[in-house]
Amino acid sequence: MAFNFNWSPLTADAEFYKRAQEMLTTALNKSPKPPIIVDDILVNELNLGTTPPELEILEIGDLAEDRFRGIFKMCYSGDAFLTLKTKVQANPLNTYLFSKPNFTSPNPLAASSGLTIPLQITLSEIKLSAFIILVFSRQKGLTLVFRNDPLESLKVSSTFDSIPFVRDYLQSEIEKQLRTLMMEELPAIIHRLSLRLWCPESGVKEEEERAEADSQEKEEIAINPLDSPPQDAVDARGNVLDASEISSLQLDGSSDTQSLFSQKNLLKLSALTDSHRTLSLFTPSIRDAVFRAWAGPPAERGDTAGSSTPSTPLVRSHSSAPSTSTTYTFNKSSDDGLGHMPSRPSLVSLNSATTGLALGAGRHSRSYMRKKKNRVVNLRRSKTTDDVHSENGESENTEVHVSEPSFSTYIPEEPEDGIVTPPPSPTGRVRFRTNSIDLGDSPRKLRPVRPVLEAAPQMAEAAMSNFSRDNRPSYANALSYPEEKTTKPTAEESSNVQNRPSLQPAPVLIDSSSAGGILEQAWVLKMAGEIARRAHDEKAAREGFWSSQNQAMRAGSPPPAYEPKAL
Amino acid sequence: MLEFMEYVQQAFYDTTHWDRENSYSQLTATARDLLEFQTPRGFGLSLSSLSSPNFATSYAIGSVGLVDGSLSYLYTSRPLHASSQSGNVELKSVIQGYRQIQELRRRDEAWMWEEWHNGRRIDKRDSLFYGRLYLPQSTLEALYLSRLSPTQQVRLSAVSNSQMKNGATILALHQYDVGKYSAETLYSTDGGLIGVRGLYNFGTDPRKEIREREPPRTEDRFYGRFSAGAEMYYGSLNKSGGVSLGGRFATLPAHSGTPLTATLTLNPLMGNISTTYAVKAGNNLALCSKFDFNVYSYESDLMLGCELWRMKARSPRVRERSMAAKLEWRLDPFEEKATPEPEQVLGVLKARVDQNWKIGLLWEGRVKEILFALGSSIDMKRRDQPFRAIGLELQYSS
Repeated sequence: MAFNFNWSPLTADAEFYKRAQEMLTTALNKSPKPPIIVDDILVNELNLGTTPPELEILEIGDLAEDRFRGIFKMCYSGDAFLTLKTKVQANPLNTYLFSKPNFTSPNPLAASSGLTIPLQITLSEIKLSAFIILVFSRQKGLTLVFRNDPLESLKVSSTFDSIPFVRDYLQSEIEKQLRTLMMEELPAIIHRLSLRLWCPESGVKEEEERAEADSQEKEEIAINPLDSPPQDAVDARGNVLDASEISSLQLDGSSDTQSLFSQKNLLKLSALTDSHRTLSLFTPSIRDAVFRAWAGPPAERGDTAGSSTPSTPLVRSHSSAPSTSTTYTFNKSSDDGLGHMPSRPSLVSLNSATTGLALGAGRHSRSYMRKKKNRVVNLRRSKTTDDVHSENGESENTEVHVSEPSFSTYIPEEPEDGIVTPPPSPTGRVRFRTNSIDLGDSPRKLRPVRPVLEAAPQMAEAAMSNFSRDNRPSYANALSYPEEKTTKPTAEESSNVQNRPSLQPAPVLIDSSSAGGILEQAWVLKMAGEIARRAHDEKAAREGFWSSQNQAMRAGSPPPAYEPKAL
Repeated sequence: MLEFMEYVQQAFYDTTHWDRENSYSQLTATARDLLEFQTPRGFGLSLSSLSSPNFATSYAIGSVGLVDGSLSYLYTSRPLHASSQSGNVELKSVIQGYRQIQELRRRDEAWMWEEWHNGRRIDKRDSLFYGRLYLPQSTLEALYLSRLSPTQQVRLSAVSNSQMKNGATILALHQYDVGKYSAETLYSTDGGLIGVRGLYNFGTDPRKEIREREPPRTEDRFYGRFSAGAEMYYGSLNKSGGVSLGGRFATLPAHSGTPLTATLTLNPLMGNISTTYAVKAGNNLALCSKFDFNVYSYESDLMLGCELWRMKARSPRVRERSMAAKLEWRLDPFEEKATPEPEQVLGVLKARVDQNWKIGLLWEGRVKEILFALGSSIDMKRRDQPFRAIGLELQYSS
């Protein structure tokens, strides 16, 4: 991997040069100067040239929207030059006496009298080659450390080029000074600079930050050429997995400067401790596991995410769009119900157990239960209205999901539930479940199919399975995928659009099943098959849509500035 | 203020009749003492003793940031009989200010140092050994001083410190002084520095016996001595060198007018010209100015300094008629003192200021038995914290 530096804006920005000169001046004058330099070192001219440095990504330890950690290899052999102005002591005897103890000083009378000469030094043909460790976090700023001595070679041309002794001395002294500058001062400068850029904004809401991010990054680029690698890295936030880490890993921001491996370990450990929310370790295998969990109905996911970390914009977007994921899940479950019944029971048992345990998700499952109960009441009153109700319920559900945090408002309903619940039949429950589960509309279509094909208990089982599915995602809730966030609006819309028309047939089916007519049953079967096929197609299409969406998002989401990064 | 060990070394020079002033390196000693005096930093205390005429010890403790200290020992083969007690020591010999150039003395003849016993020469060269260990820094200073002859002296000084490039450095200095002129050669192991310097005194040659010596013509406007010298250094390892020329005119004690010292030094390689002019404006006041100019860089520097001696107010003795005189109805006979009783020095105030408004102040004196130096360096250009350093040094010796 490599970076393309956008080098020209740097050279165009006059203010950048001014600031960089100031910074360099203070840095050069900070460390004790050799006795030959008798005045402050002023940076007279600075030009970054036209050749950008080459950056190579060796390793990325951590990548997120507001964090980055990685190792780069940087090579530079460009036409940048730097002109320094200072005054040097031209009398070698004077500098000789400087470092000698007074006791053995020859005490010259006037032979050591100084002659200070203004000196202009031009550093050019700078060749750098270094391994850079770069840690960026929005809270802590940017930390850049050179793993090795970056200075490979350097040409020092000065006023004294004709005097070999002075020239050699200057060359060695300046190289020494530059090395300390690179190794010690430059990281400090960059850190201070980044703090100045980010800290004033840290108080402002993150959304504003995001809005300003581009300009800020541009600024950052402008300030230091060496900052640009981090930038590109930061820009790489398009990465799928990282968004999910934000909430869980924000605590780890303090360990920015640590070496990669230990930090990785830390992250893993923190992820493990938060496993009930994240379950996301960063190894690929676990990613697969994440995907499976994703298959489950994450209707609650939005709730949990929304309630737990409402402040992060990412999560918020999730909470607003739980329906998509739900729909998707439901389709899957319906497939399972049709084809893979045997696997159901085990799942059911497992999930019921988890519901009983109810970690963070238990609460949510309970809330679901409550809602279900409400539905049940509705079902019992009239089957014809059921669908309407269910529709209402659906809409309610979505609302509920969004406003899940307002838990207390539903509490008054609970006693009512307690009273009503015992009577309802398993089928009612099933229906209720489906209703409650899916925010998308597809499940409703499928719902009728099941009763026809299978016996009531099986339906109950299916319901249970659905229920279990509901709960299952609870422990994998925090696996929020950035793709979801980006795709959610479109997917939701599409699913809604597709499903709405098919909503109407569902009540009919249900009615027919209750009537039990043969013809009707045959028709129902046919219809069911058709619906199933349509649902299948839908699902396939949707999946295709998903993948295409993903791809589109991956390709398109990174802002233009980040494109150069080849991930 | 001279440290005790330096004071003892001075006593050694005096005892062995070595004219320390007659050297090119001391050409501008007056200006150096008046303008470039060291202001103490932090707190320092030294306890010293010349426990026997041949042996001196000194312990110093100081606090510049951290507490540090030093132990020093000195041994001379020549018994020294200088007054070593800080309560009795003469402040004029401890505090260096305006240096009055003395008339050249005729050097001892070599035979005067010879001691014979039973047909064998038994005299030995006078020598001085000195060592000083700085404790936290683990720096060792060593000095060997040997009077080879009445006109020659060898001085070896060394510093050992692990921080230094080669761990140690040695400076060897051979001095030859016949009064009319003096020459020094030196070699330093640090950079292989070789140096030669010489001083020539115009005027009468003290070596020549002048039968009918004319009394000094003090009625002249200036009665003094002009000296000229040069020095040359070459660093054999780093191929660098330095040259300077210098001249000095100083009035001699017999001068009736205001004592003054004027020097001019040139560094032809670096184009540096430096002039100093010091005047002993009164018994207790000396003024000095120094002007530097570089003909290559047009840089100039101006420094002014003064030295003020505070004497103890002599209470005029109330002369009362003695009872005998009263009885005899006459006045007391007017007793004429041959020598006025020596003035008691209370202290010396030294001050300097340069063109950058850097001010140095130093107040040296004696309280009871303790010599003290209280000083500060002030930078008026830095309004926020003008006091760059302030310090107090105490010395007690017995």
